Amino acid sequence: MSAPVLTEPEAAAPATSSTGARLLRGVVPYALALVLAFVVSGIVIVALGYDVLEAYRTIFTTSFRTSFGFTETLTKWVPLTLLALGFTIPLAVGRFNIGGEGQLLVGATAAAGVGIVYADLPAAVLLPLVIVAGVLSGAVWAGIAALLMGRFRVNEILSTVLLNFVSFQVLDYAATEVWSDPAAGVAATQRVGEGAQLPELGGPPGVHAGILLAVLVSLATILVTRRTAAGFELRAAGTNPRAASINGIRVEKVAVLALIVGGALGGLAGALEVSGVHARAIEGMQSNFLLLGIIIGLIARGSALWVPVVAFGIAILEVGASSMQRTVGVPAEMVLIIEALILIFLLLSDVIAGRLARRAS
Amino acid sequence: MTEFAALAQLTVIAMVPYLLASLGTMLGGLAGVFSVSQEGVMLLGASVGFLISYSTGSSTLGILLAAGVGAVFGFALGWATTALRLDQFVVGLALFFAATGLAGLLYRIVIGQAATTPRVDTLPRIEIPLLKDIPVLGTALFSHNVLVYLAALLTVGLWFYLYRTRSGLNLRSVGENPKAADSLGIPVVRNRLWTTTVGGALMAVAGAFLPLVYTGTYTDTIVGGRGWLAIALTFFGGWRPQFIAAGALFFAAMDVVALRAEVSGIDIPSQVLLVIPYVATLLVMIFAFRWAKVPQFLGRNYDRESRTA
Repeated sequence: MSAPVLTEPEAAAPATSSTGARLLRGVVPYALALVLAFVVSGIVIVALGYDVLEAYRTIFTTSFRTSFGFTETLTKWVPLTLLALGFTIPLAVGRFNIGGEGQLLVGATAAAGVGIVYADLPAAVLLPLVIVAGVLSGAVWAGIAALLMGRFRVNEILSTVLLNFVSFQVLDYAATEVWSDPAAGVAATQRVGEGAQLPELGGPPGVHAGILLAVLVSLATILVTRRTAAGFELRAAGTNPRAASINGIRVEKVAVLALIVGGALGGLAGALEVSGVHARAIEGMQSNFLLLGIIIGLIARGSALWVPVVAFGIAILEVGASSMQRTVGVPAEMVLIIEALILIFLLLSDVIAGRLARRAS
Repeated sequence: MTEFAALAQLTVIAMVPYLLASLGTMLGGLAGVFSVSQEGVMLLGASVGFLISYSTGSSTLGILLAAGVGAVFGFALGWATTALRLDQFVVGLALFFAATGLAGLLYRIVIGQAATTPRVDTLPRIEIPLLKDIPVLGTALFSHNVLVYLAALLTVGLWFYLYRTRSGLNLRSVGENPKAADSLGIPVVRNRLWTTTVGGALMAVAGAFLPLVYTGTYTDTIVGGRGWLAIALTFFGGWRPQFIAAGALFFAAMDVVALRAEVSGIDIPSQVLLVIPYVATLLVMIFAFRWAKVPQFLGRNYDRESRTA
């Protein structure tokens, strides 16, 4: 199975095309998909009897009107970017990591556990411990699926998804039996120690310092996938597994490693949510990050360069969605439909762009 | 004895959503189209089935419309992967998102913010005369709602169609070697389209089964992974109806045992019981993938002009 979304439309275009033409082919499908998705959703919103202009104005401006909105957007950007990268790295080898949710929750549970048990340690020791615990447990969680895939040929879509459902119970056990906090009002663990909480940048309201880590991880992913031998092996194993294995790349090993790295990023997202946002692990804290992470990864066509950008756009939509539901009354689910439509129209416009390119040549 | 009969009856009911969703997955898969949108289409089926029954009072209409909406999503998958030759997994995921969003949206539009949870009557039980009086078996097998009987008939019917008719053989050849099938004049695209369409309808009915038989209410978590388990079950059943039915029995028994153990208050953390179906599935998959026969061309798009495939 070759990597599905990495074949960008220009691959089919003649080699002589100029930078301008390439840019056009790259940008036009995105613009078209965005416009179409919002037009179609707009028709639905009008048909439901809501004020579409007001709804869209709320969606787009909530993130920028107040510093609170902007902080919320940046805070959402962190797990979205990490989960999207956790999805796209295995995708580069043609493998689908649908387990971001489970990796996040297990990472969050481990991070909270360390933060509670060693609550008295100073931040300089505890904070790294908490984050490492999250990353490692995320990697182990994905590692189970990776082992089943590499050793027993169990389809990774299934194993990662099934592990999500196991992870709900792992967190539930921690939140109700081991470190339960009946005062929390929801099923959640106790609060982690002061030393396990990330400092805030700027503000108030500030963004937790984990955002720096997310930026670093994004940059590192871009560098590694584009500029190193490991990244080359990753892309080679994805685009043409047969050619790659003939040239000595062990495709299955690359795929297993990619899935484990993806899980580590999911675990990191969980640890940052605990130490930066909630100060504890809460059931349901994964929200719909899994779906959004996959949508972001697919809209970005699996490119590590575009994932942070698309993630920012989706974070704006998500923050705007809840505000839209409050003020205009349009159900927040509408935004998930907009996002799905963007993806669907992007896929369709690729087909059209491909056909146009073939006709032109 | 009556307790065993009641458990057996519960197990048969629990089989149905797995069975329908899995047969739907199997149909498309036998023609080579691998759907990953079960979870979303089932949720949409649950939402549509519930809402129509709630507002019209007719559960039959609810089930039919759910099937119709599911068919649209199934057709969309078939069309996007044949006419446009888009990647099956990517399209499947996109449809999964769209269906999930639509399910929640429809519920919010129709119900809004209700003070009390809206309910519908669950499907009535139809007891088959004479047969229902057989001890144990009568309760377990012949005292169910109409969808249970339909699912059983469908399983047998599909088995007969696939292994005893020429058209069924043709269909299977499309998923094994579309090029050979095409060269014999078997319409590859048409086979892929009708199977994904019917498959989508079956998944949606599997979803509608949950509120209309189990709960009488709709929640966003009502499917609870059954869609994904249906994919596992399809692999486990080797893409053959008779083994899928056996697998569905295993999954359903797992559900009922977990529920039963929780109620009876055995001294095991409830979390351990609740992960049993998933962990058991993972373990079974290790073996299933060794012997299970998968359609050779599963997950790949057919291009008549391509020289390699």
